[in-house]
Amino acid sequence: MGEKALAGLAVAALVAAPPFLPKYPLEILISVLFFAYLGLAWNILGGYAGQFSFGHAAFFGIGAYTSTLLFLRAGLSPWLGMLAGGVLAAGFGLFEGYLSFRYGLRGPYFSLVTLAFAEMLRVVAVNLKVVGASIGLVIPTSAAAPALFVFAHKLPYYYVILALTAGALLLTRVLARTRLGYALVAVRENEDAAEAAGVNALGAKLSAMALSAFLTALGGTFYAQYFAYIDPTITFGPGISIQGLLPAIVGGAGTVLGPLLGAFVLTPVSELTRALLRGRAGADIMLYGLVLMLVISFLPQGLIGWLRTRRMRAG
Amino acid sequence: MRDEIRQVSLSPLSRRGFLTTLGAAGAAAGFPAIARGQAREVKVGYILPVTGPLAFEAQLALNGIVLAVEEINAAGGIKALGGAKLALLPGDTQNKVELGKSEAQRLIDQGVVALIGPFSSLVAFSVRQDTEKARTPFLLLAAVADNLTEGGLRYTFRMQPNGKAMATLTVNNMFEIAKAANVPIKRVAMMHEDGNFGTTMGNHVEAFAKTVGYELVQRVPYSLRSPDFTSELAKIKAARPDLLVISGYYGDSKLIAETSAKLRIGVHALVGLANAAYSNPRFIGENRELTEHLFDGNYWHNPQSARAKAVFEAYQKRFSSPMANHGVQGYQVTFVLKDALERAASTDRDKVRDAIAKTNLTDHILTQDAIRFDDTGENVNASPALLQVQNGRPTVVGPARFAESKPVFPVPKWKG
Amino acid sequence: MNGGLLLQALVSGLLLGGVYGLVASGLTLIFGVLRIINFAHGAVMMLGMYASYWLWVGIGLDPYASVLLTAPAFFVLGVAIERLVIEPNRDAAEHNQLLLTLGLALFLENLALVLWQGDFRTLRVPYANASFVIGEALVEVSRLVAAGGAVAIAFALYGMLRYTDLGKAIRALSEEREGAMLVGIDVRRIRGVAFGIGSACVAAAGALITPFFYIAPDVGESFNIMAFVVVVLGGMGNFLGALVGGLIVGLAESLGAAFLPGSLKQLVVFVIFVLVLLFRPEGLFGRPRG
Repeated sequence: MGEKALAGLAVAALVAAPPFLPKYPLEILISVLFFAYLGLAWNILGGYAGQFSFGHAAFFGIGAYTSTLLFLRAGLSPWLGMLAGGVLAAGFGLFEGYLSFRYGLRGPYFSLVTLAFAEMLRVVAVNLKVVGASIGLVIPTSAAAPALFVFAHKLPYYYVILALTAGALLLTRVLARTRLGYALVAVRENEDAAEAAGVNALGAKLSAMALSAFLTALGGTFYAQYFAYIDPTITFGPGISIQGLLPAIVGGAGTVLGPLLGAFVLTPVSELTRALLRGRAGADIMLYGLVLMLVISFLPQGLIGWLRTRRMRAG
Repeated sequence: MRDEIRQVSLSPLSRRGFLTTLGAAGAAAGFPAIARGQAREVKVGYILPVTGPLAFEAQLALNGIVLAVEEINAAGGIKALGGAKLALLPGDTQNKVELGKSEAQRLIDQGVVALIGPFSSLVAFSVRQDTEKARTPFLLLAAVADNLTEGGLRYTFRMQPNGKAMATLTVNNMFEIAKAANVPIKRVAMMHEDGNFGTTMGNHVEAFAKTVGYELVQRVPYSLRSPDFTSELAKIKAARPDLLVISGYYGDSKLIAETSAKLRIGVHALVGLANAAYSNPRFIGENRELTEHLFDGNYWHNPQSARAKAVFEAYQKRFSSPMANHGVQGYQVTFVLKDALERAASTDRDKVRDAIAKTNLTDHILTQDAIRFDDTGENVNASPALLQVQNGRPTVVGPARFAESKPVFPVPKWKG
Repeated sequence: MNGGLLLQALVSGLLLGGVYGLVASGLTLIFGVLRIINFAHGAVMMLGMYASYWLWVGIGLDPYASVLLTAPAFFVLGVAIERLVIEPNRDAAEHNQLLLTLGLALFLENLALVLWQGDFRTLRVPYANASFVIGEALVEVSRLVAAGGAVAIAFALYGMLRYTDLGKAIRALSEEREGAMLVGIDVRRIRGVAFGIGSACVAAAGALITPFFYIAPDVGESFNIMAFVVVVLGGMGNFLGALVGGLIVGLAESLGAAFLPGSLKQLVVFVIFVLVLLFRPEGLFGRPRG
């Protein structure tokens, strides 16, 4: 009962507190939710379906570039462009997924192929003048225009990412209880057995891939509108792929709250290590790598898994 | 040498951001200790990639800023504000966009009168939106992307040459030299890293061809990570260029120069364009034979100016290394701010911004005429120097009125 | 078609490919025995390069000679890493093992950054500039030596695999893990030894590269992804496959650089990678999985 109250309090704080926060903590909070959102999106394919993608940047970049190009070249509002980007990304996800799953790629081989696809998109974007190549694309955000996903202040952006995160949470929760959700878990645990039991593994995995890609692409549009600049390295590079999956791993892949918890833990950890170890280049990332190794070794189910085990032991 | 730089320069201490080492460093250098709370303080913030892959270059820029701040404070601070001293607040971007954004915000919240930075154009794109909304002057340092000053922004200023100025003026300077040596340049090849920086330079060199009258016979973007450039350079050699222009970072530029020498690439000269290696004292020191007579179009101090020479010496003494391009920028941009503060006689950000916009500074150490900004915030007279490594030292050989020595052109070693 | 350019691209491609094969040889052994994608491979190579660098700066030891010291040292380091980091997670989910090596890579790369800062260092041996020409094509001696080293290491590993007891144990473990355990092979020891040998190989690779490549904490990243491609192309655990795979990748990249516009040469390698993964994941020389 106390747990529900705590959760309620947290939600209330997230909704009501930000207008009173100074800009800098608000900035951090937006960052946390952004990575929580990406983690939630990744989690559908990586955590629930158990297909570990190292190349989600492909979908992120497709989302960012689609909405931005439609905005810059055709004047289409990024709110709509966002959806277009999501659909395109889902399509690419289906293409990538079909090739990979049809040819039986599993485990690390699947991970490597997703990495390769993201890198290929990056190299193409770098060399394609029509999408701006390495010069990148600047999103005009000097004049506020809410209908065009441009706000004068940080606060509206916060509520957008909060809404996206809440939506992703809800979606994950609902999904976990549908047939597709159970099918995904079955495939994750033992694909061959699931197939034998009549589950359409290919269909399930492809659905997860499309959904995960769609959601990730929306995050790409948010990034473009918030940071006002995109280029091939930022959007298609391995950095965003890794940063997107870490919250899910640390928090607990395959759980609803895992990515959220992971993001809320990881960001302060990285801020703290940066603050403590200022002036020593790389010491914070070194610690970060150590933390990652420790979490994988001792909390393989992530924080949620660890909390559950503790609670079970407590009786 | 590098460790000394780390010790004497400011290291961002704590999250509270206030630097006490300014006083300690001042005392170490023999300047009078700065008594806090005596006069008002003017907070100036910087955001630089002080840690991470660009730490070395960022440190050079920071050294320049520190030298300027110490000089200003030692001379009595901002006189129009009753001798208020400059207080430098640090921000570390680690060359990441999200960090740059949050660090900028933190400094703005702490009430800095202006922000200097951020080195990387990528970070700059994001930060300038926030500085505009917060109406805080943003003095760009090192960021070269042309469109950074586009979009009607009023609070973004760029003192150094942007990509277009860098490329076109360097090409012009080289053509002047070729004309003086009676060696026609008809065919130009360019190799550049395929990121924002290199592509910007490449685009300008390509666009400028018709104006000046050369043919860009090969334009070769390359990936920074590549361990071998032999094929690319063989491709360039096959096109028989008169000049090879290179915009790259340290490791790749080094490899390109080495491979060009071994291949006997056949050009009259290798010309760096805002190249991170070809006027870099360290690179030169470690590769004397290879680097001799390399050209580089880059920001530099004016060797004809007595003040610049004095500053150069002060930097050398303070940091035990020569003042290179980033240090010059850091130093001068701080003085631009100081000049604006004197004229504004206020720490109100809007007034400071207006003062910066009206800058007409002739007492500076750059290779250009007066520092003045147009309505987009670009320095109208921005002009890079053309350097050539002579006897192991980057020497200004152009534009002619700033030159300290005659260029060696053509450079025979590229033909083998 | 410019004949001189083609020749240069071929020569450079073979030399580059030799370097890739060299870096990949250790990785394919680790892949074959431990079945993990070792993201930290490039970082270990980077440490090997720094080791050779410091030996050169400190006692003037030639990098080629330094292999005699660094290879055994990195063997020990490799065994230690395997025992401390990998072994405890032996039964973890595959993707967690991936992340483990990723965390290790981040740790090692930034350890180097903290210890030695990010500026580039060069190991200037007196013969660094030695080169000769074949027709119009430039051949740099240091790269030729590295390629030669690749061949030597590949054959040494192959010989070890075929003719020694250790090699037999490794083969047994790679092919049939349970069976190997049943026959009494000390699986734990073999895994540690395999990682050790793999690390020693990549440290040697690093030493051989120092005469012509700069040294910096992120140097491993340039070779990491290429090494993965080569290993998959050549077949997991197949040393001669890694050599041939390296040559193919090197040639593809070099020809791409010579004849494709822009920086699209990177694309060629990835396309090959995806095609192999899809249509022949066991690699050119591997046995198709049953």
